[in-house]
Amino acid sequence: MSDLVLSQPAPLAISRGNSKTGLRIVQTVCIFIIALVMISPLFMLLIASLKDDRFRILADMGSFRAFWVNDPTLSNYREIANFSGELAYGRYLFNSLVILVVTVVSGLIINSMAGFVLAWGSLRGKAILLALVVALYVIPQESIIMPLVVMMSRAGLTDTFAVQILPWVASPLYVFLFYQFFAQLPKELYEAAEMDGASIFRIYRSIYMPLSLPALATVSILMGIESWNQYLWPTLVTQTDYARPIAVAIATFFGQDSIYWDRAMAASVLMMIPVLILYLAFQRWFVSSFVGSAVKG
Amino acid sequence: MTAQLGNRLLRTLLATAALLGAAGMAEAKTVVHVMHQGDPGWVKAYGDVAKRFEEANPDIDVEMIYAPHDAYNEKFSAAVMAKQLPDVMELDAPFLANYVWSGYLQPIKPLVDQDLLDDMTSSNISQGTYPIDKDLYAIGLTDSSVVLYGNKKYLEAIGARIPKSVDDAWTREEFEGYLEKLSKLEGVKWPIDTFRGYGIKTEWITYAYGPLLESAGCDLIDRKTWTASGTLDSEACVKALTMMQTWVKNGWVVPTSSGTNQFYAEGQPAALAMGGHWFYAEAAAAMKDDIVVMPLPKIGERGVSPNGTWIWGISATSENPEAAGKYLSFLLKDKEYREYAKTQSAYPGLKSFAAESPLYAEGGPLAVAFEQASKTAVARPPHPAYPTITSAFMQAVDKIFNGGDAQEALTAAAKKIDQDIEDNAGYPPFDEQH
Repeated sequence: MSDLVLSQPAPLAISRGNSKTGLRIVQTVCIFIIALVMISPLFMLLIASLKDDRFRILADMGSFRAFWVNDPTLSNYREIANFSGELAYGRYLFNSLVILVVTVVSGLIINSMAGFVLAWGSLRGKAILLALVVALYVIPQESIIMPLVVMMSRAGLTDTFAVQILPWVASPLYVFLFYQFFAQLPKELYEAAEMDGASIFRIYRSIYMPLSLPALATVSILMGIESWNQYLWPTLVTQTDYARPIAVAIATFFGQDSIYWDRAMAASVLMMIPVLILYLAFQRWFVSSFVGSAVKG
Repeated sequence: MTAQLGNRLLRTLLATAALLGAAGMAEAKTVVHVMHQGDPGWVKAYGDVAKRFEEANPDIDVEMIYAPHDAYNEKFSAAVMAKQLPDVMELDAPFLANYVWSGYLQPIKPLVDQDLLDDMTSSNISQGTYPIDKDLYAIGLTDSSVVLYGNKKYLEAIGARIPKSVDDAWTREEFEGYLEKLSKLEGVKWPIDTFRGYGIKTEWITYAYGPLLESAGCDLIDRKTWTASGTLDSEACVKALTMMQTWVKNGWVVPTSSGTNQFYAEGQPAALAMGGHWFYAEAAAAMKDDIVVMPLPKIGERGVSPNGTWIWGISATSENPEAAGKYLSFLLKDKEYREYAKTQSAYPGLKSFAAESPLYAEGGPLAVAFEQASKTAVARPPHPAYPTITSAFMQAVDKIFNGGDAQEALTAAAKKIDQDIEDNAGYPPFDEQH
């Protein structure tokens, strides 16, 4: 009887162990399937970009042949990697990079300054201002786009880099994100620096900014992706090759009667690379910032 | 030393003044702004024409403004709002009435060469004509049509009759009979691809399905009274769309989710394809001699086919209409532009271009498509409410194809169209045409 009692926990432990292993297998399989679903369109894009027959690409879509290439070629990339001419995708990529870098760098400075003043500045009606900033966030970009086109056109900015940067540098979302981040940092930091005679700009630049890497990373990625994926706005305000970004340029492959899948795929792969690098470079801080804000609520 | 510096400064100032003067003279050149859409091939073709035009006309500069095909209307609206309409612009033919009514275009007869006007096919004239003043507001090198493509081996397997001209197009009974036979044929997954995959964001449904309905005695709107209620929701329209809904319900039509390549994809799962003239190039490349081109079937008493494509107009606000007309004439006559258009199996809108296009000439593979232009082509309703007409109709067809009640969907669409016309006080003087 006692043997029986003593031996009872063992099968239970085994069954718990088995169920844990089983659960892990199920989890792994599920993660693998989800990863496959997420990655397969990107893989298909890459494979299609290595095929040089647009009709073949279309014919292969919908079958497993979309994930396989018999004679890989870089001809699509060679055709579009120009800095002048009708397929100046190198130029368009460069244009997009310029717009992205200037938008993100100036956006980080302006939004963080605004967020800092709202958090710690001695500004009258701060609460109302903050409420207004949040209220602005709910207005969709599309609803103000036409008046904005008219404004920019009257300012003589049509078909410039500036017109693609200026309207989107200050954003209620990023001001609020910075505000929230700065407001969570200890008040003592501000008070100690103030007692030492530091100006508000010095406190912002030398104390709060170095502590804000996660917020900076988050805003950089969000702003970068937003700037990179802009399509409607640059379509409306660009006219020539001069400042045309790659997102608009890719649309040229989708014509009235025909779609150049081969070159469109290669251009899409090129378009993905910088934003992927941006994400990989900042993703550690990006994730930690999101986790942090979730915990702190 | 001071004098030297002074001289240098004076020289610099003089040089700057001279440069500014030269710049001013350069600015004095006439600039023609041209807004267009198109894939990289067309963009290059237009760019090359502009260069040749500038060489031939040193006093005129051409500035090309590109707008992606799918965002052309948005770009156009932005240009209207910013009061920056280009001198020359490409426009989709069915939108012409709306643009003319809104005052965006001016008549082009006095501006383009007479020999070009004389060279236009009747279908090309109809796509560029405003119905109120019967004046011509746009011209194009090309036009368009939709035909029925067939897989020869499947059609032979069911013993189908292959029409050789528009006059012996399949009747509804024949067409539905063949669809049924094809649905039972081994290797055929879908008897027909009607290109539902193009979705409802393009013009496809109105452009391609409209003629089938018109052939059945239906129309999108009454073209005399300009009211949709009583026409679009009439018994003829309900019956015609219920017929098409039955094809979908029977599993005869390639679904939206299967894309636009099932006619020639591996295994050739679709036996027929109701496709545009442009589809020929891609289908023939994959199918070689297995492809046959037939006229659209006659669903009712008469055959009807679509027409209309992207054509060129001159804006009413153009400061240089003569220069714009000169450019347009140059473009349409440009040999290299025509050569490029031929490589794209472009559908001729000018008689001289038709004569140069073996694809559409008698005995050519797309001869039937060109024959449709003179025998069965019907333009989409030339009315300023067209943007609402097409949007309401496409949504109704989408609902019906997804199992909705045809009468209900068409009545809702008709009401929406009439409401738009009423909201715009009948788009005078269209309301006086009754």
